[in-house]
Amino acid sequence: MKYLDLAMNAASSLGAEYADIRIQKTTDQVIYLQNLSLKHTNTEVMHGYGIRVFKDGAWGFAHSSVFSDAAVLATVQKAVDIAALSATVNKNKKLRLAPERSYIATYKTPVQIESLDVPLQEKVELMMEVNRTMMSYEGIKQAVFYLVIHKDEKLFASTLGTRLDLTNQFIDPMIIATAVHEGDSQSRTFDEGGRAVGWEWILSLDLIEKARQIAQEALIKVKAETMGPEARHSLILDPNHLGLTMHESVGHPTELDRVLGWEADYAGISFATPEKLKNYRYGSEIVNFMGDNTLPEGLATHGFDDDGVPGQKWHIIKDGILNEYGSTRDTAMEIGLDYSRGCNRATYYYDQPINRIPNLYLMPGTKPLTPAELIADTEDGVYIQGRGSFSIDQHRVNFQFGGDFFWEIKNGKLSRPLKKVIYKSCNPEFWNSCDAICDERFWRPFGVVNCGKGQPSQSARMTHGSAPARFRNIRVGGSQ
Amino acid sequence: MNIEKIAQYIKQNATADDYSLNISNWDSHQTRFAQNGITQHIAGEKLDITLSVSFGTKTGSCTINQDDEASLAFLLKTAEDMARLAPEDPEFMPSATAAVLPKVDNCDQETRELPAKQMVEIVQTAIDKAKAIDATVSGMTERHYGESYMLTKNGFVGSNCSTNFAHSMTLKKGSVETKVDYDAKRFAPFSLENDFARLAAQAAALEGMQVFEPQKIAVILRPGALQELMWFMGWMMNRRQSDDGFTPFTDQLGKPFFGPKFSWYSTLLRPELNSTPYNHEGIASVEIPWVEKGVLKTMPTNRYWAKKVGSTPSSTYNVYIPGGESSEEEMMQMVPRGLIINRFWYIRTVDAKAGELTGMTRDGVLYFEDGKIKHAVNNLRFNEIPHDVTRRILALGANELASSHASIPTMLIDGFNFVDKTSF
Repeated sequence: MKYLDLAMNAASSLGAEYADIRIQKTTDQVIYLQNLSLKHTNTEVMHGYGIRVFKDGAWGFAHSSVFSDAAVLATVQKAVDIAALSATVNKNKKLRLAPERSYIATYKTPVQIESLDVPLQEKVELMMEVNRTMMSYEGIKQAVFYLVIHKDEKLFASTLGTRLDLTNQFIDPMIIATAVHEGDSQSRTFDEGGRAVGWEWILSLDLIEKARQIAQEALIKVKAETMGPEARHSLILDPNHLGLTMHESVGHPTELDRVLGWEADYAGISFATPEKLKNYRYGSEIVNFMGDNTLPEGLATHGFDDDGVPGQKWHIIKDGILNEYGSTRDTAMEIGLDYSRGCNRATYYYDQPINRIPNLYLMPGTKPLTPAELIADTEDGVYIQGRGSFSIDQHRVNFQFGGDFFWEIKNGKLSRPLKKVIYKSCNPEFWNSCDAICDERFWRPFGVVNCGKGQPSQSARMTHGSAPARFRNIRVGGSQ
Repeated sequence: MNIEKIAQYIKQNATADDYSLNISNWDSHQTRFAQNGITQHIAGEKLDITLSVSFGTKTGSCTINQDDEASLAFLLKTAEDMARLAPEDPEFMPSATAAVLPKVDNCDQETRELPAKQMVEIVQTAIDKAKAIDATVSGMTERHYGESYMLTKNGFVGSNCSTNFAHSMTLKKGSVETKVDYDAKRFAPFSLENDFARLAAQAAALEGMQVFEPQKIAVILRPGALQELMWFMGWMMNRRQSDDGFTPFTDQLGKPFFGPKFSWYSTLLRPELNSTPYNHEGIASVEIPWVEKGVLKTMPTNRYWAKKVGSTPSSTYNVYIPGGESSEEEMMQMVPRGLIINRFWYIRTVDAKAGELTGMTRDGVLYFEDGKIKHAVNNLRFNEIPHDVTRRILALGANELASSHASIPTMLIDGFNFVDKTSF
């Protein structure tokens, strides 16, 4: 596209030390069906470009949705002017960019069936059937099917000579059954998070059967007993629960911008400071976390990030020790790294990219172990599936999590369903209490599609994953 | 953006039985700084055009951000195609009809024209002041100017414009972290001198932190902390969710469900508050008592549910919680001991039916005893039920602008339930 060269030539001639342009078209189709009523059916297309200029140790970023030579040149000029203003403040605190080579590349999320091309009627018919299935159960008061289909088409160019053509997409189905019984109300959710795949995933899921299951489990849950006062128990956490726990307690603390204090005013900072690299025991020896922006079907697998840095795979925690952060070109240099891990991502064309969590997952156990064997080996504990309430302090130390479905474990057996269970723990106690992880046969991904961060706030996506894992001696109990 | 052109195109070309057109355009400048340097600096305009259409009771909608004719044709075709394919909606509501809208004054020319250079000078001054006390400062300076329009086939026409200036600062000095922020529709009342002095005073008070165990204890909640709690409680007050039995407010309408010292309004009468003339459904803003002297008077209700239950549709457009006359010093005299909370963080629902929330304190917790501040303490986790908290209000302070949409007083609350602590 001619605007790529026009913008980069203009930025160079105006004295930019580095500049890039990201022309981005984002298409979101959102369908929200509640009790057979389509509450929200919308297709949104946001198309525009953002231009970043780096000059004298400072950024300027300007955006526009007007596609003309004059508008592109005016936007470049605005970005240059803003960078110059920023530089007046950064005189004694100049940012630097980690070295990077140029790339000319194309990346497309592999899909078999384009989700946006599937007729609306076909989608809605499936959703209605799922809704009807849930509502056929007496006691189910509300049935929801929330479907998000997202596609980003980006053209990226930089003054390094990089030219990228990137198409990323994901689909995220969520179904919720809410039961009311004797003055209480409880929901059960089918939620695997989003996945970077096409409509073929939906066809493989057997959502009618999932609807039956969650409706039945909502009714079990609303009639279940609560747990009673807080006490120390073992926890066995399913991948679709553990995904959010690792997101909050490992993903965010190892974003380098937080470590540097760049999020101090809003999202917070991190306890995992640079002097802890390579020596801090974050977890037990079986705890290995990978950052992996090459993960197939991963929501942060984009080919390249918005710095033009390719996707990579690296240890964030190795054998329980804090190993490395997720970084960007401007954060890496602040701790003396001469390379970025490619974690700079923006949500829409009008967002300046920021340091985000990569695809981040817990490696499976290396010895054969099934979930049934893990439960059988646990005398006293709680098995938690799905995500519930989640809250963590702004240094990412103290946290409290709920879940979506709970079973008490007694003498190696699932003894009774529970509701309103929460657990409290902190870093590094929690990950050091991990004493067993099921093997790779039971590893499952869990996609997060709404990771909020930044000022102005942006929503990013990434995939987590794990096999079921056990944590010993955690404070578990009923709420209030 | 040419509103007339967009509206004309839709009027001339729409084949749908009904439609509703919403347009907004925001011109923003945002300077983000951290650890005494600028890390992000963003400027630009954002246009949103949303068209919702219906054929009979079948609905569809589309949103775009460009207003050329080809884009408008795409907008119309996409929305109408979706509606044609959609099933009948048993909860369909036709678009809003003509309404008399209140006059609001949300727009300030000085704020709209605030130069980028002046915003950067504010950042520079804040950094200089932080350096002068061997501290670092992080935050954001931003100004926004927005215009919005809504029209429907059934005759509703509305427009609004608003400005906003905000400046936040988080100061870090040693292990002390604390924050102040300004968020209002006008720039003129902003004083960096005053805000930084408050920030520095807060930081000084927080030095010498001592370990404090979680417990039930009286708290003085400052407006920045209360705003977060109230937002979550307001979200749970939805009428339909309550009627369906999902929230603690089921069957509580008209009853004294809150504490008698607690009232909550959305109001057009407070000039400092931003107040939109209509909501996204085309409902004109009016004076709304949500809670009056502890009695639940009104619950947010959309047009469909209001029609079904014979109520009036309503939505929260701003928050005004009337305060009292107690100062923090007087509040500290009213209880033997307690904590002063600057702000809460990461509040989430623990039990929707009970209305129970969890969250952390942030940006400074002070312990007081015998009417005097003794020392700072570590941050704490709470599990609490906000409507129950209002039953434990012991005293109310003067109102403060917590944000451009919320005027909230400081409150003295008895027996606030802290359940865990941090190491910092």
